[in-house]
Amino acid sequence: MFRRGSLAGLAATVALSLVAAGCGGGSSSDGGGSSSGGSKTLTLGLIAPATTFKAADMNFANEAPYGQAVYDTLLKADPKGEVVPSLATEWSYDDKKTVLTMTLRDDVTFTDGTKFNADAAAQNLVRFRDGASPNKSFLGSLKDAKAVDDTHVELTLKQPDPGLLNYLTQNAGMMGSPGQFGKPDEKTKPVGSGPYVLDTAATVVGSSYTFTKNPNYWNKTDQHYDKLVLKVFNDPTAMLNAVKGKQLNGAKLINNDFIDQVKGSGYSLVDWELDWTGLILLDRAGKMNPALKDIKVRQALNHAFDKEGLLKAYAKGYGSLTSQIFPTNSPAYDAALDTRYPYDAAKAKSLLAEAGYPNGFELSMPSTARVGTTLWSLITQQLKDVGITVKFTDAGANFIPDMLAPKYAATWMVLQQDPTDSQIINFEISPQATFNPFKYTDAKVTGLLDKFVNAKSDEEAGAASKELNAYIVEQAWFAPWFRVKSHYATDANTEVQAQMGNAYPYLWNFKPKG
Amino acid sequence: MLMFIVRRIVAGIVLLFVSTSATFLLLYLGSGDIARNILGQQATQEAIEAKQVELGLDRPLLTQYVDWLGKAVTGDLGASWFTSQPVTEGIMARTWVTLSLVLGATVLTAVISVALGVWAAVRHGWVDKLVQVVSVLGFAVPNFLIAVALVIVFAINMQVFQPTGYTPFSESPSGWIATVTLPIIALTIGGIAAVAAQVRGSVMDALRRDYVRTLRSRGLPFNRVVFKHVLRNAAGPALAVLAVQFIGLFGGAIIVERVFAIPGLSDIGVTSTAQGDMPMVMGFVVVSVVLVVVVNLIIDLMQGWLNPKVRLS
Repeated sequence: MFRRGSLAGLAATVALSLVAAGCGGGSSSDGGGSSSGGSKTLTLGLIAPATTFKAADMNFANEAPYGQAVYDTLLKADPKGEVVPSLATEWSYDDKKTVLTMTLRDDVTFTDGTKFNADAAAQNLVRFRDGASPNKSFLGSLKDAKAVDDTHVELTLKQPDPGLLNYLTQNAGMMGSPGQFGKPDEKTKPVGSGPYVLDTAATVVGSSYTFTKNPNYWNKTDQHYDKLVLKVFNDPTAMLNAVKGKQLNGAKLINNDFIDQVKGSGYSLVDWELDWTGLILLDRAGKMNPALKDIKVRQALNHAFDKEGLLKAYAKGYGSLTSQIFPTNSPAYDAALDTRYPYDAAKAKSLLAEAGYPNGFELSMPSTARVGTTLWSLITQQLKDVGITVKFTDAGANFIPDMLAPKYAATWMVLQQDPTDSQIINFEISPQATFNPFKYTDAKVTGLLDKFVNAKSDEEAGAASKELNAYIVEQAWFAPWFRVKSHYATDANTEVQAQMGNAYPYLWNFKPKG
Repeated sequence: MLMFIVRRIVAGIVLLFVSTSATFLLLYLGSGDIARNILGQQATQEAIEAKQVELGLDRPLLTQYVDWLGKAVTGDLGASWFTSQPVTEGIMARTWVTLSLVLGATVLTAVISVALGVWAAVRHGWVDKLVQVVSVLGFAVPNFLIAVALVIVFAINMQVFQPTGYTPFSESPSGWIATVTLPIIALTIGGIAAVAAQVRGSVMDALRRDYVRTLRSRGLPFNRVVFKHVLRNAAGPALAVLAVQFIGLFGGAIIVERVFAIPGLSDIGVTSTAQGDMPMVMGFVVVSVVLVVVVNLIIDLMQGWLNPKVRLS
């Protein structure tokens, strides 16, 4: 008994002393912006791992930091979304807006020694267009890209594409070394010209990615750290604990539930409105549900929701009410449209009566357990108050495929407000748009889309999209509730600016504070 | 002895075959839209279809399975559809991480349970009751709750340990301790009850035997009787329970790995199953089955060593 006891006691003493040693070792190896000796490490929390490191297949949004660490893009976007030079210093369209000529830097080398030139640029563009990226359609309008000489590349388009310049600031514009094309490890060992180099030995794929400074980087003003660590958190609680334990310089908050706790840990927050949420009234022609054919019914649906209440329930009050799907920085945005459909159940009922549905009608929509249950009960209850009976079917993992099939006449959804009108139009409005599965359009929309695509100037395009926005709000194609505020937390040693139109701030905007 | 091992290995291979085909079927049926999971909501329909062709999802189920099997027996488990990492590389790295957690928890469980079980069996009275209550409490409280509580108290408030992450032992032994201590404690607490109860029961049973009375009557100190003779006899059943605990800990490790953001086997098992990352899930199943077979084999061999009577059967 005593021997066992003393054995246990000895073990405890040994363990405690190891722990004491462990604290000393553990606390300095993680987190902290500037540790002693002037070597700066940036540790960021992300909610997704890198799907791939192959330049032609790169993802973006929440995976943007992976690509931005190792690759440069032809163009860059400032935090407001304005296009600025990067690898390309000048660019111009021809009169028809189908040929884009770009002047490139001549002083950039990839980390494997290959020189960056127009031929490399052209190859990268074509490979992205034909690659496996979910955003390959960004270069869908690219007919061909070729090098005119070493520093000039020419892009020929099938038709004008107002969004192209913006796409070239994202994954579509990432430049990888031709020396890496076709190599067996192309997907896991990136070779770019970017500010950092992936340290595969120190990287745990799917969990923690370590990068070291690229000593020959051409743009030292955008390179602020010696080491970069990108950590993946599958669990919001684990991310929160890492923030509380001061293991991260920056963290993307998955939702707004933990904001107070994050602030309480000494972190500051930047916010931006990335997504809009509400209903998409997909079946505007009434093919599946005849009631939705009538504009009065769709407008009634817009009036039926208590947006303030929904904002509190869904996003803890962080956001701004709206009735349009274009973001505030878009030329199509009109502040007056935000209040076009105030909450008015009585008005909703009278509109329904005028349309011939005094006793309401039945509406089938998909639901998913991934968003919890509160949302669906709120929608059911608020529509019941105006006489509409909602029938939700749990689509589980097929939530999005079923809505896009299309299997339903309308659905709730949360969608990104893209940085350019062109993206929003191609994503949600045009007859071929992903979220227009019924391919609905009318003469006025077709005319406005035409005007937009063939606009001779940005002002003309802006005027067209503004008219389009006003029209689809009046026609109640959607029933938006609000724009949701996304939050990003940084510790006391780090500052960052939110990036308009992207889920994650851009890597070069992370700077040590003070 | 050799025949015993060989028979076990052959049974293990059959088990591997059955498990992987069952898993393949389940995955295929329950996968939803894998291509859309991979490409995200922004993807166009043609991108989705292209991805499906690339991954071979448009082929018949049997063809896909035979294809996977053919490559697997040569050691090529493919690459993750979500991170492009070779499966063998990814799974092996994570297996060591989880093993270090699970082995640590098992050793700790064994030490504490034996101490508690023996103490309860020898002392009786209030000690016995106390041990029973404490171990049942440990069993009843979900280890998720324990994990979160440990993080809040020891990692965030007292800053003694790391709240998330994993430092490999090879990189820094002290760093490793700082990151694995709390997860191991969280995993251990639930397992103590079962093993301690078993030890207590077996020791009490053994103490009533005639040989114990004989040894004591010949003047042997009680401690020696317990530790040299009784424990060896009581160890058999306790070892069996411990083996079950060890395998069960791989399941318990899922939640602990999530909460502590540890890149372990269980974590990738859950994530890849939810996403429908077929190569990863299949690799995970292969490793799990191999582990179970190996552990059971080792336990059986240890039982044989402890108790000669077992060797003959």
